[in-house]
Amino acid sequence: MDFDPVTLATPFFILAIILEIALGRLGRAKANYETRDTLTSLTMGLGSTVAGLLTGGAVVAASLWVYQHRLFDIPMTAVWAWAAVFLLEDLTYYWFHRISHERRFWWAAHVNHHSSQHYNLSTALRQTWTGGVAGTWLLWLPLSFLGFPPAMVAIQKGISLVYQFWIHTEAIGRMPRWFEAVFNTPSHHRVHHARNPRYLDRNYAGILIVWDRLFGTFQPELDEEACRYGIVKNLTSFNPLRVAFHEWAGIGRDLLKARSPREAAGYLFGPPGWSPDGSRETSDMLRAQWAAANPEAAAGSTPTPDARSASRA
Amino acid sequence: MNTAFLIQFAASVLAVGGLVLLVAWARIARPTPPLDEARARALIAEEFPGRALEGVWVATDGAGAVARSGAAALVICRVGDGYAARSVPWAQALSSSFRDGRLRVDLGEVAAPRAVLTLEAWPPKNLAA
Repeated sequence: MDFDPVTLATPFFILAIILEIALGRLGRAKANYETRDTLTSLTMGLGSTVAGLLTGGAVVAASLWVYQHRLFDIPMTAVWAWAAVFLLEDLTYYWFHRISHERRFWWAAHVNHHSSQHYNLSTALRQTWTGGVAGTWLLWLPLSFLGFPPAMVAIQKGISLVYQFWIHTEAIGRMPRWFEAVFNTPSHHRVHHARNPRYLDRNYAGILIVWDRLFGTFQPELDEEACRYGIVKNLTSFNPLRVAFHEWAGIGRDLLKARSPREAAGYLFGPPGWSPDGSRETSDMLRAQWAAANPEAAAGSTPTPDARSASRA
Repeated sequence: MNTAFLIQFAASVLAVGGLVLLVAWARIARPTPPLDEARARALIAEEFPGRALEGVWVATDGAGAVARSGAAALVICRVGDGYAARSVPWAQALSSSFRDGRLRVDLGEVAAPRAVLTLEAWPPKNLAA
């Protein structure tokens, strides 16, 4: 495939980062960069291109095999087909992203993207080295089974990734109201990268924020609560190897001390922070603690999934 | 790996080097003045909300602090222009290696192997018992 949106956009990525740094330096926009943090983010981005090569062949082969058994023939030249793949790919991305936050096995592959305590355009390039191994690409195979050509799906995935670059910035406040209502924006995605309890595990959208509104995971950015970026337990190192593999190592340690298959399954596929005795803290637990301490503020926030279930019961 | 990829990768490496140099020149990291006790307490309150503190010891270089909260030691240490925080058993913190004015607290995680804090003395004289 010759048309790769990400490759084509790479010069734009570099120019945009230079512009953001320049605006930050001149005091014209909010933009903080720390040297080692930036080096780590960009190294992760470089490494992800190499890591992608290792599993890329398997992904392409699987997509082509599934496509050979497709249900329909969807033409790559039809406008409606591009509209359909745009919506279905973005819906797939939402669930990929949600699983990547709510189940530890996939969080281990995704956590590196959230490991920076900064939120700038270089953070967008802090990409996974282990996503291919984690197998999240399987989620996109149904699109090829439906009949979308694998190249079409790959292009749309690339467009989504390019879109998501520009939203990793504090330099842009809020977009016009209609845009904020429909699309993922810097404001919405700042919330996603924040570690404040009320912001945890919110705004999973790729391009369209409507999925979060639809599935109950939307949380607007609030003027009264500034985003604190990073992960619940921030790393003490800028070493890219630690950034890429620390959660996998943590899973390995936990599996070694698991006392039953149920515990092993919990450590692998439970929410990040799960432990058999509840001594660690999951996002829901942290949010519940915060809500208990701040009942008035919590009344205006998106409830946790558990709370939603309870209210329906 | 084909030639086109290698050329693209080499160009990307150069771009990364250039951007990092630009960031180093721009000096637009968040300001991180040395911690004083009030700031250390505020950070600890942010990281460990609702925890009562029996004592706070701020690193002499202001790059971290350790606090006692019941049976736990709450440790914060500077990472770049941010901070990382962990809770470890107080007894573990108390028995941590202290040499040449540096306290090395084993945090026991791949993500955070240890915190190193410069302190005048350890264990703290007023809570050593």
